[in-house]
Amino acid sequence: MVVGRATLKEQAAQYDKLLQETGCLFGLTELKRKKEDPGTYEAVWHMLLNAVNTGWAVGCKVSSSPIAVEGGDAVWCLHVPTGEVVCSSRGITAHPGLLSMLIRRMIDHEYEVDPGINPGDIFENNDSHFGGIHGPDFQTVVPIFYNGELVAWAAAVSHVMDAGFVMPGSIGFLNPDVFTDGISFAMEKVGEEDSYYPWYEKRIRTRTRIPEWVLGDARGRLAGCLTIRQKFLELVEKYGIDYIRDVLKEYVEDGRRFCLSRVRTQMIPGVMRKSNFKDLAMKGKRVILPHQNIDVLFNLPMRLEITGDGKVRFSLKGASGWVPFGENLTPEALRSAAMNAFSHMVGFEMFNWGIMASWELEEPPPGSWCNPYPQNYFAATGVGWAPAVMWLSSMYEVFGRLFYSRGYVEEVAAGAATTMTAEFSGFNQYGLYTAGLTLEQASNGGPARAIADGETSAWCIYTPNADFGNAEVTELYYPIVYLGRNIEPDSGGYGKYRGGLGHTAVWMVKNTPGIEYQCGCAGLRSKIVGNHGMFGAYPSWPDRGSYAIDTNVRELIEQKKPLVHERGDPEEPDLAKNIKARILETNAIAPFVTPEIMHEYDIILHPISGAQAIGDPLERDPELVRNDLNNGWTREWVARDIYGVVATYDADAKEWVVDLEATERQRQAIRERRRARGIPFRQWWKQEREKVQRREGMADAVKTMWATACDLSPDYGRDLKAFWKLPEDFSFQG
Amino acid sequence: MSEYDISEIEKLADGKLPWTRVQEIMRLPKDPDRFFKWLRILQSRVPWPDRILLPLTTALFIVQKEDGRRLVKCRCGYEFDDYRINWKLHALVYVRETEEQMREVYRGREMPDPTWVQVREYYCPGCATQLEVEAVPRGCPPDFEFLPDIDTFYAQWLGQPLAGQPYEFEDRTQQLIDQWAREDLGS
Repeated sequence: MVVGRATLKEQAAQYDKLLQETGCLFGLTELKRKKEDPGTYEAVWHMLLNAVNTGWAVGCKVSSSPIAVEGGDAVWCLHVPTGEVVCSSRGITAHPGLLSMLIRRMIDHEYEVDPGINPGDIFENNDSHFGGIHGPDFQTVVPIFYNGELVAWAAAVSHVMDAGFVMPGSIGFLNPDVFTDGISFAMEKVGEEDSYYPWYEKRIRTRTRIPEWVLGDARGRLAGCLTIRQKFLELVEKYGIDYIRDVLKEYVEDGRRFCLSRVRTQMIPGVMRKSNFKDLAMKGKRVILPHQNIDVLFNLPMRLEITGDGKVRFSLKGASGWVPFGENLTPEALRSAAMNAFSHMVGFEMFNWGIMASWELEEPPPGSWCNPYPQNYFAATGVGWAPAVMWLSSMYEVFGRLFYSRGYVEEVAAGAATTMTAEFSGFNQYGLYTAGLTLEQASNGGPARAIADGETSAWCIYTPNADFGNAEVTELYYPIVYLGRNIEPDSGGYGKYRGGLGHTAVWMVKNTPGIEYQCGCAGLRSKIVGNHGMFGAYPSWPDRGSYAIDTNVRELIEQKKPLVHERGDPEEPDLAKNIKARILETNAIAPFVTPEIMHEYDIILHPISGAQAIGDPLERDPELVRNDLNNGWTREWVARDIYGVVATYDADAKEWVVDLEATERQRQAIRERRRARGIPFRQWWKQEREKVQRREGMADAVKTMWATACDLSPDYGRDLKAFWKLPEDFSFQG
Repeated sequence: MSEYDISEIEKLADGKLPWTRVQEIMRLPKDPDRFFKWLRILQSRVPWPDRILLPLTTALFIVQKEDGRRLVKCRCGYEFDDYRINWKLHALVYVRETEEQMREVYRGREMPDPTWVQVREYYCPGCATQLEVEAVPRGCPPDFEFLPDIDTFYAQWLGQPLAGQPYEFEDRTQQLIDQWAREDLGS
């Protein structure tokens, strides 16, 4: 198959060469079509956007699993023949870059020759070794031909509810290695003439637990791609193939130029650093293999350099080692995920490959969690997102700081907090086996801004399509009843402006002979706090789950006594106050799978985090604190001890009243306490370096993290030891 | 290109613009003169005359002294050191690393494990403002969040080179640590 006179492979090589020579994608030093007729250029762009968004709407409707149908957690894209994505639908926009790399990989592997690329073909991949992020994210790619010539690709990703992992579901943090990472489609041709091969269905039926949903989603992806193909070819007929071929490339180069210009006009050259960490505490819990009986801490460092000529470079030097869990990630997947966060913060006019081409990611340390294959080709990626999204949180913060310095305060966003998922598996109220994810985690609180609190339950770091779905619809899918879905007070950190608040879902198991609840990790922190805080704010707190098994809830309902609808006080939780149970856990370190099958009237409390706050909490407007008190979004002790706001509840007026004079005295007293307890950094450094050298008070996971980080990035290790003046041969593991 | 009256930018920064107007400003192309208006606003709000070159946080600025030295200064007037040295090395620090210390901020199920993470609070020695909070495991050096290349920024990006000898773009934090090690540890 040839395009013009060159094969796709030759054409891709030519484009790479032109990029090197001209600095412009496809060698487009000029955007001729745009210059000649900007109106048509803009109009066609919107028609293409309409095509991919129609693909999204059709694809989600045809799909089966709630994550696509109810949550819209999928994406459809259009690509040029050499793979670069031109435009993307709404949905999970971390994936278009990976779809581009998948197409390029097919080209590099000479798929034009074998197995051939023909009209009506369907290709699929979900294998991280070939461009996937993790098993449940199925990628479908369909070539678009016009008069016998490949002129574009339509592509899609949707997250299926069961990927055939060793454990049910799609959040495979427990997977010890690739052999437990579920069903694999490794860049395969899975159909032709717009139909899946018969073996495709057979493989899904034998290797996933809920094949009807997985197959329904496959049909959804294909339906969306075919919709895009049809609409795209209508545009080709209308505007001519030469015009369309030209503008597809111009849109991509235009996207690159836009990002570059934003950097020069809104950023500042220099170097930014942000540390970041993530825990995975599994010691003593249910795991798959004995060597997983360990606690892990990830080092997720970010270094951002913006050079004088506006180039943006990210580095993960110091990233810790790969882990025997499904929380490793490939550099390709990280790049694609970063496209999402980068576009959120730096902005975009045309969301496409041009964004990816406007910055560089230094190859992460080989053998690290974000580049595992050089050391362990069989590392599991079951939920590779988990550490990635937390690293991406730093991207919000570092760009937020740059916007602040430059004066664009309206663009500042602090970082995210955490992503804790809930999955159920077992027989549902219809007598059918089900395994799947609720959408709770797709609606965190949003990061604080420099000028306002973050929005509550309206943001998600891994998708701009934040939507936790309707409780009533979720109840149709799983054998649970919502006893509560309430905003969680103080879940957005403590600052002048707090992060948006998260919420807590309270479920009662109902109408099932038994289900399992997996409190999963798609980027949570449970041993450590949720983030840093920014400009003096306190971080949001860790994720902890709660559950009760074999309860007295049925009797309580019959007696019309109080149940549990929220978490309540952190030291005297409502669950323990109101419910009696054989197993009652109010402070479970996440992630975990419940120790026993859950039955009717058992209870689960599943919190979803808020986000990061900004600024010294003593600078929070007392009126905002009063408002939060009135809404039940903060607690009296937090108002008094952290915000320094003295308020009393007026029972008659049913509202809180702030004593401004007492507040000023309280704030002054807190400042005095800071002066009294703070010590000069130099003094602390001298004391602390000795503790570091003795490895005092450091959990094993901390020591292992530093040891692997120093081994995998020797210069990072050298700098770290130089800071504490540790001997060159010092080892954190002793 | 957009352009805003300085009073509107001031209201924006103070969180006093209606949200619909903020959204409008977010949607429109950015105003190229924002930085200089931002500096004017900030300069008018500090009680000292040193020229602000760049705000780092809501409380800290890189300023240029009359003698040309560039250093980090708090809005209260407290002066840290050369901006190429992480200012945290001249701050007061308080580290929460026990359950008792953590409990003042994080109670019960909200408390992190102190053997996994320290909560480091950095205060201004002048006004006790909490400037940054880090949550890191023991062994993590303090984040040097931002080392700007100020001369390149002013000369090449803003087209207004700063007077005097350009500062070398270099992280000098380790040099101070080396000095402390010589003085305090004899190494």
